[in-house]
Amino acid sequence: MTKPPSANEGIKAASRLLRGGIAEGLRDRITGGLAADDQQLTKFHGIYQQDDRDLRPERAKKKLEPAYGFMARLRVPGGVMTGPQWLAMERIARERGNGTLRLTTRQTIQFHGILKGNLQAAIRGIHAAMMDTIAACGDVNRNVIAAADPQRAGAHKGAVDLARRLGGHLLPKSRAWHEIWIDGEQVVPAGDAPAESEPIYGPTYLPRKFKIAIAVPPTNDVDVFAHDLGFIAIEQDGRCVGYDVTVGGGMGMTHGEPDTFPRTADVIGFCTPDEAVDIAEKVVTIQRDWGDRSDRKHARLKYTIEREGLDRFVAELATRRGRALAPARPYAFARSGDALGWSEGDDGRAHFSLFIENGRVGGALMAALHAIAEVHRGEFVLTPNQNLIIAGVAPGERAAVAALLGEHGLANPAGGLRRNAMACVALPTCGLALAESERSLPGLVTQLEAALAASGLAEDEITIRMTGCPNGCARPYLAEIGLVGRGPGTYHLYLGGAFDGTRLNKLFRRDLKEPEIVATLAPLFSTYAAERRPGERFSDFAIRTGVVAATTAGNRFHEDVAA
Amino acid sequence: MASSQATAMIPFAEEQLAPLRSLLADSSAEQRTWLSGYIAGFQAANAPAAAAAPPAAKPALTVLYATESGNSEALAASAKREAGKLGFAARVLDMADASLDGLAKAGNLLVIASTWGEGDPPQRAEAFFAALMASDAPPLAGLRYAVLALGDRAYAKFCETGRRIDTRLAELGATRLAPVEECDLDFEVPARAWIGTTLRELGAETPASVIHVDFMRPPATEAAAHSRARPFAAEIAELVNLNSSRSTVRNFHIALSLAGSGLAYEPGDAIGVLPTNDPALVDDVLRAAGLDHDDALRAALATRHDITTLTQPQISAYAALVGDAKLAAIGADPLQAAAFRAERQFIDLLDAAPHKLAAEQLAGLLRPLAPRLYSVASSRKLVDETAELLVAEVAWEAHGRARRGVASGEIARRRVGETLPAYVQANRHFRLPDEAERPVLMIGPGTGVAPFRAFMQEQEALGQKRRSWLFFGARQFTHDFLYQLDWQEWLRAGLLTRMDVAFSRDQPEKQYVQDRMWEQRRDLFAWLEEGAVLYVCGDAAAMAKDVHAMLARIVADQSGRDGEAYLRDLVQAGRYKRDVY
Repeated sequence: MTKPPSANEGIKAASRLLRGGIAEGLRDRITGGLAADDQQLTKFHGIYQQDDRDLRPERAKKKLEPAYGFMARLRVPGGVMTGPQWLAMERIARERGNGTLRLTTRQTIQFHGILKGNLQAAIRGIHAAMMDTIAACGDVNRNVIAAADPQRAGAHKGAVDLARRLGGHLLPKSRAWHEIWIDGEQVVPAGDAPAESEPIYGPTYLPRKFKIAIAVPPTNDVDVFAHDLGFIAIEQDGRCVGYDVTVGGGMGMTHGEPDTFPRTADVIGFCTPDEAVDIAEKVVTIQRDWGDRSDRKHARLKYTIEREGLDRFVAELATRRGRALAPARPYAFARSGDALGWSEGDDGRAHFSLFIENGRVGGALMAALHAIAEVHRGEFVLTPNQNLIIAGVAPGERAAVAALLGEHGLANPAGGLRRNAMACVALPTCGLALAESERSLPGLVTQLEAALAASGLAEDEITIRMTGCPNGCARPYLAEIGLVGRGPGTYHLYLGGAFDGTRLNKLFRRDLKEPEIVATLAPLFSTYAAERRPGERFSDFAIRTGVVAATTAGNRFHEDVAA
Repeated sequence: MASSQATAMIPFAEEQLAPLRSLLADSSAEQRTWLSGYIAGFQAANAPAAAAAPPAAKPALTVLYATESGNSEALAASAKREAGKLGFAARVLDMADASLDGLAKAGNLLVIASTWGEGDPPQRAEAFFAALMASDAPPLAGLRYAVLALGDRAYAKFCETGRRIDTRLAELGATRLAPVEECDLDFEVPARAWIGTTLRELGAETPASVIHVDFMRPPATEAAAHSRARPFAAEIAELVNLNSSRSTVRNFHIALSLAGSGLAYEPGDAIGVLPTNDPALVDDVLRAAGLDHDDALRAALATRHDITTLTQPQISAYAALVGDAKLAAIGADPLQAAAFRAERQFIDLLDAAPHKLAAEQLAGLLRPLAPRLYSVASSRKLVDETAELLVAEVAWEAHGRARRGVASGEIARRRVGETLPAYVQANRHFRLPDEAERPVLMIGPGTGVAPFRAFMQEQEALGQKRRSWLFFGARQFTHDFLYQLDWQEWLRAGLLTRMDVAFSRDQPEKQYVQDRMWEQRRDLFAWLEEGAVLYVCGDAAAMAKDVHAMLARIVADQSGRDGEAYLRDLVQAGRYKRDVY
């Protein structure tokens, strides 16, 4: 029985390769929004229409439409940008956005609150800095992320190069982004078919978003198992000889629908560096052809693999490539969080990993980074933990950077829980949020830190992640403590996710209010402090002592739940 | 026997004559003159048509007015009525429609002219004023005139327009009947008194004539039962700050119930509101003058006196009262006075040289509290017995004190269900065109958009899809787009043809309505050429001037013609209308 395609499939098909009516919609200055169909299409251009939900209640009685603003997300392969690019983005945020930059879990920057009338100017500014927002959202391959590990210069360069090659190869071929945002003129008249075509995607692109990550063990900062497609660098004698390939990871699920679940990816074999791009293309085309185009809740690659079976998927990949993958090679991850502070690279350059709470840069922090960007000649690396590495500080430059960090109070490290904490954006801009996240987690962490300190755990590293809805932007299902929004001030509490990102967590308590979260975790912290084995992580302890059962696979996420 | 013969001819009984004799015995010459005319008029009014006496030649009188807000126009109408009673063949003439040649033959002329902004004549009077001042103005010998000048002492060039007209008429050979009368915001009483006196003086110098009195009919009533002098207590039915809670400004949408008042307005008219001063400021003023126990004065200060505006004469008067040399020097020098008055109010004058005053001294320093006029933002055809207003809150901080506009500050304090004293101030020059086909170009940034909402409601009620184009501007799109949902609905319905908006603070480069006009100059000029009526409403100090300059530039750019001349012609043709404040 075939179900009809989802509404989005029709919108994509009719869009003339992502053009739709966006250009006309931009000319209408009386509304701050775009037509509903065009809102779906702008995502492919890295642009989301949102509205300020804090203002929703008052708008209609003031005879005002919702306070529309747009989120624009950069495409930054591997999260690497230059100082001048940082300064350009900061300026766009101040002049065209809400004055803040939001570093995200996928190594990019989001601008929020851009008015429709400012969108073209903002995107042109991005383009002028030789960056773009193409395919940063939408049913396509998104920004490719790579281990933010400049300490190992060669491995980092290799990972970032691969991210760029993958991102470039899987970029849509449509000229729509340039036409609409940069040239400002419609090259393809309405009604005419565009001249270009999409050899990889086809006219309806993918059934759903597609995410790729490149990990360099022992760091799993990218959370490689949370992605549709992953590459784990395998090194021999200090040199990257190839990658273990992972498929079928993904975070999103829907409350109350047990056939939706987060899934850690499967490792399906090993490839050499020069095979990686072709493998990515073939995986994408299988998902293009096999993915569910009628139900967007089951459209990610993880559900395709669950439905068809991993073996069948691997066989299809071998067929499309003309050969099978080599057997996977061993690797070992140690952590998923960032090591903060100064580090020395193997090329003699220094790096400073700066903790940025929830990735939000504004106000005094923005001013501090502005000052640093003006003297820093190296790179700025966005990490998958929403932090920022001031990377490649030359020996002669280090004193100046260190002085600026000290001057702006950025040199002091946060506590063990806070520096491993991540929240998604949620309210007020995200339309999906059911509960607060970015605005709520810092205060909750403060309370939990008090409980940890009482148990002598102030410096112990524990990962904690919060999202305002179950879609999983902050990868909450891979945290030792996961909090997923259910409604205003209410969260499900998950425990047992591995510190290195290799194991999903498990639902522990339902619908807790903030004080209940603290009251629930505080006794667990004190038991952990008293009874843990040497080096035992909080999540491993919770599983060993039966607080929660271990989640061994995504499709068992909802099983063995005691709550 | 002549007398008895005469008595015999008297068609009155003796007891009827007694009161008449008694009345005449005590009467003045003026009263007797009036009475003779009155009786003739009474006879004429009641005699059968065939038996009517041939009409006596009545002295001609022209009441010429130059108005911006309608005050001069209202006074002119009242002067005409008064003149009619005194036996003049009076006509009222808008300066916008007047020519110098026509005026030369007017005989008697009463000029009522208001001054606008920094000493300017009202916009529609600009052409006549320029012609009068021109070196080629014709001689006006034979014309007898008097000028009533309206102004506001808060502005430097008080009553400038009236003064200059008075001087110029004399230069051109006309005979001045009375010195120019200058009235401040509290013009009502002195203006009407002056009109009465001047007309009677004029009457005394002209041949006795028949006085027309509508004796049998009730005296002519004002257009509405409620007026500025007798405002209606209008209940606040709705009060909403239209700006977002994140805005830097507040504009109140306020719906006043006129139910039972008999008040009727048309789109384009204004509603006058008689405000009450902020009780806290009243207390401050009383305290500063050492009068905080005087409750009678407190009540008077609340509703009758202007305790915010500070004028140069007030500085001098207060300096003299308290003997302060420094203030006296400031009051004597216009430049120093202007600098002192910048961002200062009356309370600052008291604070500058604290002194205990007597109640009458304080009251004597103060000007009467003037009503505030707000262009109505609704059409009765749609909202029935309600008037909707758009009121910008005036609030700022200066010299360590939070300042508020009198009326907007009061409205911000008010709640739904309370009342405001209100009346209708007609503005018949700012109306939709009679021809349903004639397009309208509306330029109304900020609260200037109010009358255009009234226009659109009117169009909606009439189902009229006239070509209409609105330019609107404010600070921020998200927070300050006044009545955004209304415009969207009218655009969707095709009642509003086009709308262009400019928001000054949404991007690094400031953008104003005139920038949008320039972008759209080709279409805008085409609309003008197609006969569109152009309306500008809002801020007079900057916006109206900038918009005017842009219009002239657009005309020149699009046609190569003299933009100013083109716009003057538009004004003369009644196709360029302004309601600016």
